Amino acid sequence: MPISRTDTYLLPFGPAHPGSGNFRVWLTVQGERVVRAVAEPGFLHRGFEKLMEYRTPLQNSVLSDRICILEPLSWNLAFALAVERLQGMEVPARAQYIRTILAELTRIQSHLIWLGAAGLAMGFETAFKLALTYREEVLKLFEEVTGARVYPAGYIRPGGVRRDLPPGFPRRCLEALDRLEKDLWELDSVMLENPSFLARTRGLAPLSPEEAVRLGASGPPLRASGIPYDVRRDDPYLVYDQLEFQVASRDDGDALARFRVGRAELRESIGLVRQALQGLPAGEVALPPKPFARLPEGEAYVHIESAHGDAGVYLVSTGDKTPYRVKLRGPSFTLLIPVLEHLLVGVEVADVPVVFWSLNHCPADMDR
Amino acid sequence: MPLESAWELLARFSPRREGNSIWATVPTDEAPSLLEALYLQGWSYLSAISAVDWPQRGALELVYHLWSLEDKGFVHLKVELDRTAPEFPSLAQLFGGSAQVNEREIYELFGVDFPGNPALGPLFLEGWEGPPPFRKDFDWRAYVRDAYYSEAREEDRAYFQD
Repeated sequence: MPISRTDTYLLPFGPAHPGSGNFRVWLTVQGERVVRAVAEPGFLHRGFEKLMEYRTPLQNSVLSDRICILEPLSWNLAFALAVERLQGMEVPARAQYIRTILAELTRIQSHLIWLGAAGLAMGFETAFKLALTYREEVLKLFEEVTGARVYPAGYIRPGGVRRDLPPGFPRRCLEALDRLEKDLWELDSVMLENPSFLARTRGLAPLSPEEAVRLGASGPPLRASGIPYDVRRDDPYLVYDQLEFQVASRDDGDALARFRVGRAELRESIGLVRQALQGLPAGEVALPPKPFARLPEGEAYVHIESAHGDAGVYLVSTGDKTPYRVKLRGPSFTLLIPVLEHLLVGVEVADVPVVFWSLNHCPADMDR
Repeated sequence: MPLESAWELLARFSPRREGNSIWATVPTDEAPSLLEALYLQGWSYLSAISAVDWPQRGALELVYHLWSLEDKGFVHLKVELDRTAPEFPSLAQLFGGSAQVNEREIYELFGVDFPGNPALGPLFLEGWEGPPPFRKDFDWRAYVRDAYYSEAREEDRAYFQD
């Protein structure tokens, strides 16, 4: 389409935090329609990969909290698994169950922020407040277990977890899940099944399966495009191969499908936490920490299904106390750059926030 | 089975098998055609590209982490480039946007050129004119100390003590 000088203008979306996260995308707009979108990452680039080269595994596991504020425990987990694979560690079963419980609670609260923030961006402010109220229940559980609501300071560390669950935790966790499950219909009624929500999201910004793969999508946006790739099922870690769950996926590929996959995953995650609590074995929760040990020479690649998608850690060691190189695959790196740039072309300006928030992203793990 | 056919394809480069993953280092000139062959075998999900700097042996290593959606496994294909002028053909045409943006990151942080990539501009850094900052010989701590602190200031002095 030829771009004329009189009806075409450049519009920044972001980087003010409440609207877009710490991220900006430059839109070339013709009339009301986006004709070109160019992502501008970097507002949260802290250089974790390089910082990790200066730190021991235990220090790095605290640092890994900060990779994504929406799911610090997922990055604790991915980093710990990479170190354990490199060292050939066998982690006690109880620790693996506790990790699974926390990983799924992390997914629940991250998806709640996702759906809530999407509601805020679309004018469903009640949905935002409901979602954050539900999330609070999970944060209280995190505080009990890790000592902090958001940043667990490396609670999941190489070799296990930092300490055991507090007494009475399983009961309080089950009660919180029951309340959440009972109340989720409110979120459906004010937002996800609301006719105006359906009208705004159905058919919006469809992503075909071929495009989703070529653009490197993962997590809910990939599964909503008809590709049921889920690391928990396809490359099991922790105790996922012993638990029952459905991989939520849809064929439509539009914004509505992405939100519906997220909603279905909330339900599955509640079920997974219940099963893991039921199967929780007794025993140790960690191998003794060896803060001054040298890492064996070698390399390891580990990936997990984080709340946002396929999160990977590539660890290279030359036999020092610190890793020689750490590469982090943040799922939002591809979601917010190639996928978003592709999906925004052709949509109306008013729908930009809807498409943006339908992707379940985290600018922090894009920039790293 | 793609894992077996990938194993055959890479057999002459003494690959290593770990669970559902194959690791292999291949010669640079053969790498593009091997990556294309792997793509056609179903290793079409380019999960990530990693760069590792090895100044001791004058090499910059790229690792292509290829996932197969059908076979549920990884091929980690490694190529070594000459560190003084690292260059490798772009795979953006073959693998799509995922390869494009991964190459762009490595171009900025490690200084590897990818001829054929349509947009190798700055990605994370703003107005950066120094050397590629993720290379091993770039001293981050010295850079931060000199750029943001002053030995003359009492509160900064700790940064200048060993």
